[in-house]
This record gives sequence, C-alpha cells and structure tokens, in this order.
Amino acid sequence: MSKNMHVCKLSDIPVHGIMDFVIGSGERVLVANFRDKYYAYNGNCPHQGTCLAEGFFDGAVLTCSKHLWQWDITTGKPIGLAESPLEGYKVEIEGDEIYVRQANALKMAELFSDISTSTQDRLVQLTRREEYESGSVLYDLGDTTDDLYILESGRVEFELGRDDRTSAAGFILRKGEVFGWAALLEQQPVRIAKAVCVEKSALLRLNGEEAVKVLASDPASGYLVMRQLATLITRHFTSSSEK
Amino acid sequence: MTTKTLNIQVNARNRAYALDGTSNDKILNLGLSNAVDLPYECGSGTCGTCKARLISGEICDQWPEAPGRKFLKLKKGEFLMCQCAAKTDSVIEVESFVHTMEAGACVPAPLKGRISSVKLLTPDVIFLQIALQQTVDFDAGQFMLVQFPEIVGFRGWSMVNYERHAKTLDFVIKKKPGGELSEWLFNNNCDGVEVDLFGPMGNATFYSRLAKNILCIAGGSGIAGIMSILSRASQDGYFSQYNGDVFFGVRTMKDAFFLDELSVLRGECGEKLNITIALSEEAAPDDARTDYPLLTFDQGFVHEVAGRHMEDRYQNLRAYLAGPPPLVNGSIGMLLRARVTTDNIRYDKFS
Ligand SMILES: Cc1cc2nc3c(=O)[nH]c(=O)nc-3n(C[C@H](O)[C@H](O)[C@H](O)COP(=O)(O)OP(=O)(O)OC[C@H]3O[C@@H](n4cnc5c(N)ncnc54)[C@H](O)[C@@H]3O)c2cc1C
Ligand code: FES
Ligand code: FES
Repeated sequence: MSKNMHVCKLSDIPVHGIMDFVIGSGERVLVANFRDKYYAYNGNCPHQGTCLAEGFFDGAVLTCSKHLWQWDITTGKPIGLAESPLEGYKVEIEGDEIYVRQANALKMAELFSDISTSTQDRLVQLTRREEYESGSVLYDLGDTTDDLYILESGRVEFELGRDDRTSAAGFILRKGEVFGWAALLEQQPVRIAKAVCVEKSALLRLNGEEAVKVLASDPASGYLVMRQLATLITRHFTSSSEK
Repeated sequence: MTTKTLNIQVNARNRAYALDGTSNDKILNLGLSNAVDLPYECGSGTCGTCKARLISGEICDQWPEAPGRKFLKLKKGEFLMCQCAAKTDSVIEVESFVHTMEAGACVPAPLKGRISSVKLLTPDVIFLQIALQQTVDFDAGQFMLVQFPEIVGFRGWSMVNYERHAKTLDFVIKKKPGGELSEWLFNNNCDGVEVDLFGPMGNATFYSRLAKNILCIAGGSGIAGIMSILSRASQDGYFSQYNGDVFFGVRTMKDAFFLDELSVLRGECGEKLNITIALSEEAAPDDARTDYPLLTFDQGFVHEVAGRHMEDRYQNLRAYLAGPPPLVNGSIGMLLRARVTTDNIRYDKFS
C-alpha cells in the first residue's frame, strides 16, 4: 500500500476552486473543492503537460487553457475533446490537512471507470502486480490471449509483423491505460501484436476469463465495460474525427 | 542538384507513419501534406502544440529561438515539428493519437504565388492579394503560412475570401510594432513580390452542413477568417435558417475597416445576421450609425460587448474566435461560463 503524502490545508483551497502544489516527491498536485468534497489529480495536463491550475474551473468541470480538454472534477473522466482521464490520487483528510495517496491503476482505468465499486474491488483482488525490466516481451504475435494488462508506470510499445519486417504500432505510457484487451474477447484467441516494455515498467495483470466471469455476475457493469472497450478500440483504429 | 530522399518514421500513440521527405521539408509540413493529421496550432513556432521527440537520427532546427520552445523538455530530445527538418533518416515520436485526414479534406501543400494587389485599409492595416501559380481549395476560416524572400520564417495569415478552386488569396495584415515582416510590408512596395506558401491549415472552419447558429468574435486583423466564413455562409444562404452574431473589436473608428463589406453582407443575409462593431477606446460617434445603418456600434472590449449582446442566446451554437491571445482567452472564458461545449469553440490565436 502506498503512503500518504501531505499536500496542503483545507483552508488553502478556495470554495469551489482549484489550487496546485508541488509535494515532497516533486509531483505537481492539483486539489479541487466541489460541494463538501476535495479531489486531487496530477497537476499537469495529460495532453501536453500544461499546468492545469491555469485552466478554467466552474466548480464542476475543469478545462485546460491550452487546447480545451475537459474533465469532470468528481471523477477525472474526460468530457468533450479530451482523449485521456486525469490521473487521480486518493484523498485523505486529517483535521485541517489534506493528504494524497497513489490510486490503484485499475481504479484509474477508463475501461473500468463506470462500473460498481464492488465489482471494481473484485477485479482489483484478481490483479497480479508485476515489474518488468526494459526489453521484456510481454507477449508476442500468435500467443494465446490470457491476460489483460493495466499500466501502473513505465512504457510499453507494440509492434506488428514478424522478425525483420516489424512496424511500430503505437505505445502506452499513462497510468491506468489498458492493453491486451483481446483477453476479454472470446472471438480473439491469439495476439495480433507484440508488446514490449521499453522502460522498467510496473503492470497489473488480470486474467481475461476470470474478469469476464466477474463481469457476468454484474451484467450492468459488464455492459459498461464492453461499451468503454468499443470506445477504446475506435480511438485506436478509426480515421480522423470531424474537424 | 538532387536532394536525397529521407525516411522519417512518426510513431504516434495509436500507430506509426512512414514518410518520405528531404532535408528541406519541415516535419510538420511533410506529415500534413501526406494527409497525416499531425498536431499543430500556429504552424509558426509559437504555441508548442507540434512538439515531438527525436528517437533516432538527426534533425536541423531552423529557428532555435522559437518562442514555442519554452514548452519543450529539451533534455528529452523534444523539438517543434513546424520548425525542424530531418537531416538523416529519423524516427520521431508524437505523444498523441494521430489519424489520417478524412477523404475530401483540403490537404495542405507547398504553393507559390505573387503579390498582385496591395491596399492600405487603415494607418496600420494593409490588404494583400496573392495570385497563385495553381488553384487551391480551402475551408472558410483557414489560414496559410506565407514566406517572403529575404525574411526568414513563415507567418500565419488567415484568408479573407472564400471560393472553390481559388486562384487568388486575400489577406489583411496588421502592423506589429517591431514586427519584421509586417513593418517591411508597410515600408516597401511589395507589389509583384514572389512568395512561398504552405497550406491551407487550421480547424476553425465553417461549412454549411454544420447547421448551427454561429457566433464570431474577432479583434483587429482577426476579422480576416470571419470574413471568409461570412462569405461562405452568404453564398450558401445559411442565414435564412440560422442566426449569425458577429462582434468585431477595434480601438477607435479610425482603426475600423471592412465596414462597407460587412454592411453588404448584412444586406445580403438579412436580419438573422447581426454585426456589432465594438470600440474599446471611444464611444461610437453619431455619424458611424448614420453612415452604417445596418451595423450596430457599442463600446468596450469585444468579448465583453459580445457577452452583453448574447445574453442567453447560446443554444445550438458554434463560436469562432480570432485575434490576439488575450481576446481569444477572454472569449473562451465567457463561452465556458455560458456552457458552450468545447467542441463548438474554434479559435486562432494570432500569437
Ligand atoms: C493561425 C494564425 C493566423 C494568423 N492570421 C493573421 C492575419 O490574418 N492577419 C495578421 O495580421 N496576422 C495574423 N497572424 C499573426 C501573424 O502570423 C504574424 O505573427 C504577425 O503578422 C506579425 O508578424 P511580423 O513579422 O510583423 O512579427 P515578428 O514578431 O517579426 O514575427 C512574427 C512571427 O513570425 C514568425 N517568425 C519570426 N521570425 C522567425 C524566424 N527567424 N524563423 C521562423 N519564423 C519566424 C513567428 O511565427 C513569429 O511569431 C496569424 C497568426 C496565426 C498563428
Ligand atoms: S495541454 Fe491541456 S489540452 Fe492540450
Ligand atoms: S504548431 Fe509548431 S509551435 Fe505552434
């Protein structure tokens, strides 16, 4: 379990306002107040790193000043133009002090963001956290699709094709990004790309079959996961959106 | 002299693109002219949106003092695609999703032209027409990058006109104190000068199937792209069905231009089109109202004037903003407070 890091006092945050702080670890943390709750996120925009405290905040929706990506402040979920969620922290309040803690990568994953907390917790129970050195091959073309992966830290790249005729097929670098999603699809028994850690990386692995069983026992959540999965696949494969 | 073909691989979050170029091609331009929709905003070194990371190979930075470099992590090998060309085969990485342009998009390309008409509109605004060697298609609201001989670097200028297969492009350029090219234009006879262009660029575009009311807020030469949008809307009879509200901000009546053209557009388009001239440094003189009975005049900063006039008329609306960054940022704040969704806020910051 990660440890608490002190950020600020409750009284530092304007009512329905935002403020950012650089905490002991050097991370920039944005703290927001909405109604009687406090929320904390990575203070740099997931798009191009612009300082989010310079953005617009109307008490519920945060807008980055640079290219107008937006998020729901209570969940960190992207709205409108935004392509990625905010990277959230768990907030703990002791007296007048606000502390944050690293959140579980699965709980930050867009794929699982809409589902019931109990199902989320059951999925977290099923995950195995593993660390990989740079250069580790997570899976190769034609391997059976067993696990789904959630990035906690590091970076994973994908390649298509075999041997000397491979071509780069994208990469993943944000906490909570999910890949190897074919593990959730019955009709996709083998990997269609190779996944390689290109930095030292920490990943959560979740067995596809077991995850599907959990989701089948909570069909409402299962439906939401499949809908998010469709969005994710579309984002990776379709041509440009309306300009 | 033959120029060696270089292979430039762009790794984006969703896939990689292989581009063939030369050491003369800015990487952004190379991608865009191959219909790869690389990220950019200004195309001219100021905003930092086109940042990428060099993975392997060598690049040449053609403007090492570009203001947009302040957004880069230089230690990580980041650079601006709009200012850099490859020197060798290279692999670069763009940290966003990159798709190919849709069929039918106006794919940017290098163009050549010659200044064919020049006219002073106010003491510090000049009208320029460029006759092209070939025709070009662009969307209303787009801009071109233009380079003059002996003046280093391309400037972004928004087209004023709108037509299919355009043979000429119209621009209005505001004199920037100390600005290299704009001052040169005011001090030299530029008629007949040969220029290089690249474009069309920009996504603050209007097309009639949009089917929404439109709100335009422009300051100074920012009216350029708005004229193009109004021209297209007028050609399509758009304002028989949808409302148009245009706010054009200038300091004083002496700085205003295109008032005759705006009056004509208002006459053609009818009552659903409202055009307001916002004067920031004086109250509108009485003769302005008699000279331009079809236009409205008001005093204040243009986004504040727009806020007052729009009140609660923000439903089913697309907003176009153009001009200096403070105007665009102020207008964005106003629109967000009015709950206009961000996909309906299109802007060009003339940075
Ligand atoms: C999308 C967009 C649309 C625009 N539309 C218009 C318009 O319609 N009308 C208008 O008046 N202005 C417009 N501008 C502003 C315009 O591009 C110029 O910034 C402005 O005309 C001042 O130019 P200057 O040469 O006088 O000033 P300078 O300060 O000398 O230069 C201004 C710009 O030129 C480029 N530049 C300067 N030196 C170099 C160099 N060594 N290498 C490479 N690039 C260099 C940079 O982009 C710099 O910001 C627009 C800007 C943008 C981004
Ligand atoms: S940097 Fe925040 S939206 Fe682009
Ligand atoms: S697009 Fe290159 S700096 Fe703006």
